[in-house]
Amino acid sequence: MTRGEIQSRILEIFKEEFEIENPGLDDDLRDKHEFDSIDALDLLSRIEDLLGSSLTQDEKKQAMNIRTIHHIIDYVELMAAKRS
Amino acid sequence: MRACFSHMKPVADVIITLMIWTYYFLSYLLLFWVWYAGAFLFSSNRETAFQRINHCYYRAFFSFVRAIVPGLAFNIDKDVLSIRSSVIVCNHLSYLDPILLISLFERHKTIVKNVFFKVPIFGWILRTAGYLPAIASEGLVSLMMERMNGLRGYLASDGNLFVFPEGTRSRDGSLGRFNEGAFKIAKRCDAPIQVLSIKNTDRLFPPDSFLFNTCIDNTIEVKLIGTIGPDYQGKDVSISEVKEKARSLLNNSLTS
Repeated sequence: MTRGEIQSRILEIFKEEFEIENPGLDDDLRDKHEFDSIDALDLLSRIEDLLGSSLTQDEKKQAMNIRTIHHIIDYVELMAAKRS
Repeated sequence: MRACFSHMKPVADVIITLMIWTYYFLSYLLLFWVWYAGAFLFSSNRETAFQRINHCYYRAFFSFVRAIVPGLAFNIDKDVLSIRSSVIVCNHLSYLDPILLISLFERHKTIVKNVFFKVPIFGWILRTAGYLPAIASEGLVSLMMERMNGLRGYLASDGNLFVFPEGTRSRDGSLGRFNEGAFKIAKRCDAPIQVLSIKNTDRLFPPDSFLFNTCIDNTIEVKLIGTIGPDYQGKDVSISEVKEKARSLLNNSLTS
């Protein structure tokens, strides 16, 4: 999966799941879009679907401090690389 | 309130406040800590046991308050008492609101500011009773994940989660902006949302005051304003619309 593909999938998830359309890639999601811990947990489930495998508890904890779409893409890339 | 003459009210406020806080702490130190310790050591389900003890503790507390505060009455809608398996959203006027709701629901959870989880003993009670931290921040990430994962099952088995979506107490009685957390949880767990209104707790224990306001005619009311049970899986369901609907129901009730 390329970075561009990850980005477009993540933006699609944000639109469908969190009612957030076209967020800036460096927007602070918490401050600007009310993206909270509950959303983060739901996003992790969707990332698991994207990766086709479960995330460990430590990997999930690592994700809870993510603040921007760029960080999410970095995170998905890292998790995908770990699994390949 | 003619039972208390106006010149005696300041003295009554101080004396009754001292009695209430004395009862609050002494009943814990002399009685309830034994229950908590017993439940922790011997209960097969600590979470439910701690919720039940909290419920009894605050029920006893409000019975005591009602008995000693002249002019105070409670009017609790009977529909409120029968709520089960729901996410309850409510306006927030006073520090008394969360403990009043605990006194009404034996099986309950709520969302608590992170800082309280760090308070000795109190934090331990909050954790053991299964309450949720407000934010999955450093130190509480695992707890938040564990709580969220268990919430659907908890709600399905007659438990209630109550939340004050304004996030803070109203200083003038008006309804503030709602956060979306409670509504997201309801959607995540496929649970109905019950909208409650609380009135007059701020008259009994005003924000920014240490003293209870006694010797006035005051009826604390808790009413069920409405139920929202949308088809959360439907494509057209918007969390922000559900949130605004709940806010509108509550606002209409408070201003009518």
